[in-house]
Amino acid sequence: MPEKIDKKIISLLSQDISLCSRPFEKLALKLGIKERILISRLKAYKKSGLMRKFSVALNHRKIGFKHNAMVVWNIPDKLIDHSGSLLAVLTQVSHCYQREKAPGWDYNLYAMIHGKSKNECLNLIKDISRQISCKDYKVLFSSEEYKKTAAKYYSLP
Amino acid sequence: MSRSQKLTPLDKRILNRIQQEIPFICRPWDKIAKSLKVSEPLLLKRIAFLKKQGVIRRISATFNPRKLGYFSTLVAIKVAPVDIEEVARKLNVYPEVTHNYKRNSEYNLWLALVAKNRLRIKRIIAKLKKDKRIKQVLELPAVKLFKVDVNFKV
Repeated sequence: MPEKIDKKIISLLSQDISLCSRPFEKLALKLGIKERILISRLKAYKKSGLMRKFSVALNHRKIGFKHNAMVVWNIPDKLIDHSGSLLAVLTQVSHCYQREKAPGWDYNLYAMIHGKSKNECLNLIKDISRQISCKDYKVLFSSEEYKKTAAKYYSLP
Repeated sequence: MSRSQKLTPLDKRILNRIQQEIPFICRPWDKIAKSLKVSEPLLLKRIAFLKKQGVIRRISATFNPRKLGYFSTLVAIKVAPVDIEEVARKLNVYPEVTHNYKRNSEYNLWLALVAKNRLRIKRIIAKLKKDKRIKQVLELPAVKLFKVDVNFKV
């Protein structure tokens, strides 16, 4: 489990950091630690898989990816790894998970697919479904974004 | 029409690069600037501009919630179309709700939640079920992760 200082670092880094030439120096100052300590901790989080990625998040609608479909498939358990790996390599797929089924909801493979048009998404989805030999699926386009934020860690009451 | 048409070729190169890893070194932007063959001040200026335009949402790290001891899940909600805006606004108040989308399906509201533990998620879901406008709630926790990598070719 992370120590107190790790919690502070993770809480800060999971939200927007300020843009400047030496961002870690600025953050370290805020945390009351040395810049090189902060940098070595960050490298350690990355190495252990605690941190997935430190990068810039874009508003995909503003760069032309206006359409976003969540696709759910009902896949036999023994085929799910194969299907998931096939989806994972596609650049248009940002997220892919196996999820638990629920009463009245038989879908277990989920993917978020982004495209510049609805048709682009739909064609890709048809292609994928053929490749994974699955006819039982649903396409759910998003029509409104009510919230999209970074997860908040160690800052909740 | 679309903002993408206003992006300069340099902006596109910048966006493609900075969606990937930003290095953990004293001057990360300087290193990125060099790889793009521009000066650091120019890079910072363009990034600041793209942030102001809303093209860049934030500069931040994503973590593996489970490895931090957190619990994440997906929740699907069935709500009458007339009530959807109001219910969505109410749900947005929870800091645990990170994503909230309206989708074209019988389950028309989809939430991603990240919470300290499963109990907290259970409590939020129990509260949702008491709301008369909400007809049905499905909790759909992940069993296996195949991919999380948001990286758009600009």
